[in-house]
Formats: sequence, structure tokens, C-alpha cells
Amino acid sequence: MTGAHQAIGKSIERVGAREKVTGRARYSADIELGAPLVLKALRSGRPHAEILAINTEKALRIKGVAAVFTAMDIPGKNLTGIILKDQPILMGDKVRSIADPVALVAAETETTAEQALKAIEVDYRDLPPVFDPEKAMAEDAPKVHAKGNVMVSRTIRRGDVGSAFTRCKSIIEKTYRTTFIEHNTIEPDAGAGFVDSDGTLVIYASTQNPHYDHKDVVTLLGLADEKVRIIQAATGGGFGSKLDLNVQGFIGLALYHLRRPVRYVYTREEAYLGTAKRHPLSMRMKTGADENGRLLAMQATIICDTGAYASYGPAVANRAPVHATGPYAIENVDIRSYGVYTNNPFCGAMRGFGTPQIAFAHESQIDLHALDLGLDPLAMRMLNAHRVGSTTATGQVFSASVGIGDCLRAIQPHYDEARKGWTAAPAAPYKKRGVGIGAMWYGIGNTGVQNPSTARVEMDRDGSVTLFTGCADIGQGSSTVLSQIAAEILGLAPQAVRLVTADTKFTTNAGATSASRQTYISGNAVKQAAEQLADVLKTEAMNKLRVAKSALMFDGGCALVIGQPDQCVSFAELAKRIKSKGASLSWQGYFDPETVPLDPQTGQGVPYATYAFAAQLALVTVDVLTGEVAVERVVAAHDVGKAIHPESVIGQICGGVAMGLGFALMEEFEPGKTLSMKDYHIPTCADMPEVVPIIVESPEPSGPFGAKGVGEPALIPTAPAILNAIADALGVRLYALPANLERVLAASIAAGHFKPAP
Amino acid sequence: MDASSVRIRFTLNGQPRSAEFPADTTALKLIRDVLKLKGTKEGCGIGECGACTVIVDGKAVNSCLMLAAQLDGRTVQTIEGLGSPEALHPLQEAFVKEHAVQCGFCTPGLLMSTKALLDINPAPTRAEISKAIAGNLCRCTGYRHIFASIEDAAHTRKEQT
Ligand code: FES
Ligand code: FES
Repeated sequence: MTGAHQAIGKSIERVGAREKVTGRARYSADIELGAPLVLKALRSGRPHAEILAINTEKALRIKGVAAVFTAMDIPGKNLTGIILKDQPILMGDKVRSIADPVALVAAETETTAEQALKAIEVDYRDLPPVFDPEKAMAEDAPKVHAKGNVMVSRTIRRGDVGSAFTRCKSIIEKTYRTTFIEHNTIEPDAGAGFVDSDGTLVIYASTQNPHYDHKDVVTLLGLADEKVRIIQAATGGGFGSKLDLNVQGFIGLALYHLRRPVRYVYTREEAYLGTAKRHPLSMRMKTGADENGRLLAMQATIICDTGAYASYGPAVANRAPVHATGPYAIENVDIRSYGVYTNNPFCGAMRGFGTPQIAFAHESQIDLHALDLGLDPLAMRMLNAHRVGSTTATGQVFSASVGIGDCLRAIQPHYDEARKGWTAAPAAPYKKRGVGIGAMWYGIGNTGVQNPSTARVEMDRDGSVTLFTGCADIGQGSSTVLSQIAAEILGLAPQAVRLVTADTKFTTNAGATSASRQTYISGNAVKQAAEQLADVLKTEAMNKLRVAKSALMFDGGCALVIGQPDQCVSFAELAKRIKSKGASLSWQGYFDPETVPLDPQTGQGVPYATYAFAAQLALVTVDVLTGEVAVERVVAAHDVGKAIHPESVIGQICGGVAMGLGFALMEEFEPGKTLSMKDYHIPTCADMPEVVPIIVESPEPSGPFGAKGVGEPALIPTAPAILNAIADALGVRLYALPANLERVLAASIAAGHFKPAP
Repeated sequence: MDASSVRIRFTLNGQPRSAEFPADTTALKLIRDVLKLKGTKEGCGIGECGACTVIVDGKAVNSCLMLAAQLDGRTVQTIEGLGSPEALHPLQEAFVKEHAVQCGFCTPGLLMSTKALLDINPAPTRAEISKAIAGNLCRCTGYRHIFASIEDAAHTRKEQT
């Protein structure tokens, strides 16, 4: 199919939008289950301690308490975690963070559950804690896990940095730091469940990956696969936080023992305390460029604080170094990254897996070089940007779909205009204006490991089509996009494709909704399934209409001869004929991106089959007396390969800019201090700049209709662009996020701008 | 009736209603747990997110901060009173058309804040819209499509009159 698509590239009505605007969509807290028992976990409140004894007797005597569970009640394997199994759902021998659950209460009401929590007696023996990951790496540091505190490490080595640095005119070495960040999905984590008439434990959850949940829950409970069914309820945002087994294990455990409906809805406070955070990173980065501004070498040490458990920490500690160069070709690299256990709250996936943090470092470095060499920051980026034929730090050679140049060119006119018109124009007294650029690249899917997806497309005897996908739509719009892909192949209106999604009983594994992978990977699986069905339909139509297959097309539920629309046969008739011949109307698609695992010593390999690229421009005004930063405008150019649903792409870009602005200026989670939404501020509509989204389409040959992904890329360049704009305004740079009032004001004072009128 | 329980009469989505509940019940709990209207959401329970917004006597309020007893004699609108999937209210229509809904958890609250605004000010400026919805947090959209929907709905209204 060339050129004109009938479903792809159209911003059709999003699946589920009607149910959501009318309040009919059922999130986990809304599902009717009669009078379910309320679940609540007792969390340790201490960072590192041995558990000597847990006494639940008093709690059990409270009227309305159905049960109190501890680690001893877990029938299967009490260790969860998608990548490394190191996290019990209830702690048996020791606790490693203040959030660690030690007991689970099931009670008639919320109030009773809370009373029961207070009545549980736990004897602890405190152990020395360690909160600083650098200290945790020392030989004699308290051990968070018996195997040692360095959870994973990764080295990426290529060329010869030592000799390359001798050829550099400009060498910059700095350390950058970021903090814990809370996902703050507006829906706090929740789930509910009941036991079906055949004994199956049915668990509804707010989740990004029902099939992984399923695997973890059956292992936890020691049950056969078919005895547990996970259904994704409407999910109020994820951003990585709902990849972990937050409530699913608790619900499964209670159902297993009590055989009656239960529900667990986190309060906001518990969601803050008990779920993953974005990893704080410390990044020491040394880069060198020649007199023309060409980057020749990078040396970096990255330390990722994963807190008490791995969660997606290994993915972060692997992805950050792979992306450390930014979207630039640097021939000589020596990058080391460590994921380290501490007694902080556990850190996991959050939109970008370490890439938003590392982009802050590489984008600051490139601006520092430009300043040092007297070059224009945009021109310097353009000079170094990857292109077809260039080689990455892992030795991957790009063969197509490298849109970073196009993204930089797309922001160029806005940049020139801002430099000429906006920064040059006189600002109000005590206000300084600045312009900054942030660029990024982002590998789609998991880093150098298998991450397949499957999907099934089925035709009924009446010719109607159903798409079965395990893919969890958490608001980003995957259900809409996947139905568009199936519809395009079968010549149907997307609304005509029936959807069955994210239910482990009826759908097969699509992998996680993470790593911006669903459009590319599940999109390909859906496309393949639909193409197989299309092929049997065309074969049958060829027999019926007696023309070559290549002369056939689909339209509105019929196969017809191109140019002779009256020569046609309906899907219903084709379906009957195919069935009668014993052929299948149900086709399974499978796609796994082509990657080569990274070499353990050198980090060389092909970590991703394709990359998204982006460049953003930020215009800021800094109040030099208060430290307040107003972001006035963000121009965001994103290479998504192909926008299957352009307005959803724009929605991702604008949402990403908002989250990036929060990361840049205001968000900071302090363990033990950030307790509720009063203590943590995310951007409101009043904080938002004007956003100018620009969709760049550099088609990916292996992508469905050329598509890649955008979910995480949307956020990554924003903070670097804002931080570079602040540096441009003040002439002084910040090396730690967030750029809150105190830090910006300190910078303003250091730069000598703080001179209130006498 | 237990000593600490309260009985009220009020108008809910155009219908007279009465309800009885413990005195410390919040308006949000009354709506969600007693009356079983699940469209109104709880995002924080302390007045910080706006997910629980309903309209009381024409004003948008955080129902998590209000006692249910305070609704006695008053007129309450929740998302269920706006429109149905088959017959959307023009404001809901605009949210669907402009793709203002991603995860949708903030949506009912946003719609109620907006409805309260447009009922008294059918042609708001951008600043007025911003003020009306600044208490409704959305983590997904970056608010662009939300502004577009509200402006679209206000515009449509103007055309209709
Ligand atoms: S739940 Fe009421 S403001 Fe958040
Ligand atoms: S659409 Fe998800 S919070 Fe607004």
C-alpha cells in the first residue's frame, strides 16, 4: 500500500474516550464487587532492621478483621521483580526501607483495617542504614542485600579516550545530580478481585503489564497458570510506576486464603510511600571537543540509587550509559554505570529509564563546549548529530530513520527568531531572558534483550473482526493505534474492529507498556496478524472473483477488484467459504525487534532496533530577585517515524513537556518528608508554557507504517532545554535538579544579578 | 438511626434525593460509596488534585473537603448528570473531539470545573479558563487539548445562541 492510508495518520476518536467523559469507565476503585474486604499493609517505618517477631493476635481479635497475613502465609515463592527477583511482598526476616510491608490486613471496613494495623506488634532489631549510594559501594558499608550493594554495573568502551582527549581543544568535566521523583499518576494504585465459580482468582488492577503480573502472582501463590486471571481495569496513568506488583500480589494472597471479594486502593500517602520512584543519578561526565566543536571523547561514571530493591533499576543502569553520548556521534567513549542498593525507597521505571537524567548531563556539556569554543549551541549539535551511516557508542551503525538532524532543523527558525527578537528585546526590570536547547535519542524497547509482543486477529463467520491484544492502554492511546493498524490492513473503519485487551484469559502476552515500545512492537505484531488474515481472505477472493490476488483490495468489509468495485465479495461470504475449507480465520502475530546483546566487557552490541529522536527549544524568563523561572514557550520537534494518530502524538508531546517542566523546576521527592500532595508539586495548567509541537517523520523501515514511539521521548529534552535557557539567562549554570527557587536565586546572586533597588 | 448519623435531603442531578450516613462522611464518600456514583474520583483526599470536583449550588467544589451533611437542601451535580455515551453534553463532546482525554482519571473533575465556569461565563478568556481549572491536576495531557476543548465548547455555545 503506498501513499494514501485510510486509517493510519488520522486522529480518530480515541477508544474509551466516551466512557471516560461520562464517568462510566471503571477504574479499580469503581468495580462493583458486593461488599469486598478492605486490604491494607503495615509498612515498617524504619529503614533497615531485622524482624524478630510479628504478633498479630490483638489485631485478629478486633471485630471485623477477617485475617492478618505475614510472610509465613505465602504459599509460593515470596520474591518478586520483573528483572531481578529480590523483593518479597511481605518481609520475613528483615526490612530494607521505611516502605517495606510486613503484614497485610483484610477487614470489613477501612477504619477497622486501620485499627488492626495499629494493633499488630512487630519486634525489630535496627541495623545501620546506608542512604548514600557512593557510601553503599564501599566494602565495609552495611549490606542491604546479602549479595552486596552493587546490583548491576555496565561498561561501554570504544576507541581510545586517553589519546582522544589529547587532541581536544575544549575539555569539560562536571558532575550532575538529580533527585527522587514521584510519578504522581492522578489515580493512586488500586486493584480488586474475587474468586470465580471455577476457583480462578480474578484480579482487576491498575497496571501496565497484566501478563507479567500474572507470572509473578502464580509464582507467589504456587498456582497453575489457569488459576489466576489478571484483567487490566481502566488505568489512571502509569509512567512506569504501575509496572511493579504494587497491589496485585496482596489481592492474590487474600483471595487465595479467604475466597471472597477484596479491594485494595492506596491512599495518595501510601502511593507516595510504597511505590517506585525515579532513580536519583549522579553523573560525572568528562567530554572533549576539537576546535571545530566536534566531540571526540567522553568519559563518564554514572551512579544510580535503586534504593532497597531492583524493580526496573537494572534497566535504568543499562540504559543511562547507552544513552550517555546523547544523539551525537562520539568515537571514543569510556562509560561506567552502577546500580546500587541503599536503604532508600525502591526506585524503578519512570518515563525514560535514566535517559531524562543523562540528557541533563550531555546537553549541559555540549552547551559548555559551545561557550568555551565560541560556537553556536545549535550549530554544534548539528555538527555532531547522528546521521545514517554514523556509529553509536555501542558500535551500532545507523542504516535508516535518524531524524535528529531534521528535528534540529525544525527548531532552527524558532531559535533564530528567539535569539534575534526575544532575548534581544528589553526585559522587565530584574528579569532576564534566556533560550536553551535540549536534544535526545531514545532506543525503542528493552536494552539488548528480547522483548517480543504477540497479538491475534480473528474473523467471525459474519465477517466481523476482533483484535485480541495483551497490550495495556494506560491512557497513551495504544488501543486506538492498534485498532487503526488492523483496520488499515483489512480496509475497515477502526471503529469496526472489536477490541479485547489486557486480559490474561483472552489475550496473549504483548509485553509491558513501557520503553515506548507498544506502537512499534505490538503494532508490528498486530500488523502481522492482520496481514495473515488478509492473505487468506485475498486467496479466497481470488478463487471466487477469478482475478490475480494483486488485483484485489479491501473496502468496507468486502474484497473487490481494483478499479471494478462492482466485482466484489463480502467478508461474511469469504469467512464462510474459508471455514468450510477448514482453513483458519484466527491469526497470531509475533514481533521481536532485532537486537544484539551488549558485550559484558565492552558494552558493544545493538541494543535497540530503532531510535526516536527529538529536539526542544525553551524560552524562559528568570526573576533575578526571587529565583522564579517562567517558561514562556517550548518548541518541541519529535521524530516518531510515522504518526499513526497525530493528535495522540501531540498529546504525548505536551504531556511530556509538562512532566519535563516539573522535573526541571519543582519536583523533588524527599523520602520520609514528602508525605502527601501538599509536599509535592506537579505542574498545573497555570505553569504551562505555550507549546509548539512539531511532528517529524523519518520512517523506520521495520516499523508498522514507519512508526517508532514517542511516550518517553516527549519528556526527555524538556529539562535540559530549560536548564540551558536558565544558564543562558543568568550566565551561571546549575548542576543539580530541580532548579527550584533557592537554587536559581543562589545562582542569580553568584552571577551578581541580585541587586535590589536601594 | 444511630446518634451520630445524619439524614439530609438534596437535589442530585436534577432529582430529589435523601440519604442517611455517619456524621463524619465526606461528600465524596457519600457520592461514591453511599450513592454508588463512581464517576467522581478520589486522587488525594485533601483538596490538592481536583479529581473529586462536583458542582454544589452552581459552584465547583472539592467534594473530599466537604462534609456530606453540608449538602442538605442544596443542589448537586456530578459527572453522571452531564450526558451519556449516546448523548454527550456539548462539553463532553468537545473533550472527545479535541482528544483531551488520556487516562481520563482527571476528566470528570475537569468537566465539572469547566461546566461551573461556562454556566456563569459562557465566553471565558484563556486566563479565566486557567483560573477555573488550575486546581484540577492532569499528569497526562500537559493541558493543551483541555484548553482547546473548553475554548471549542465555549465557541460552540456562542454559535448556538
Ligand atoms: S480528591 Fe479531592 S482534591 Fe484530590
Ligand atoms: S488524562 Fe490522565 S490525569 Fe488527566
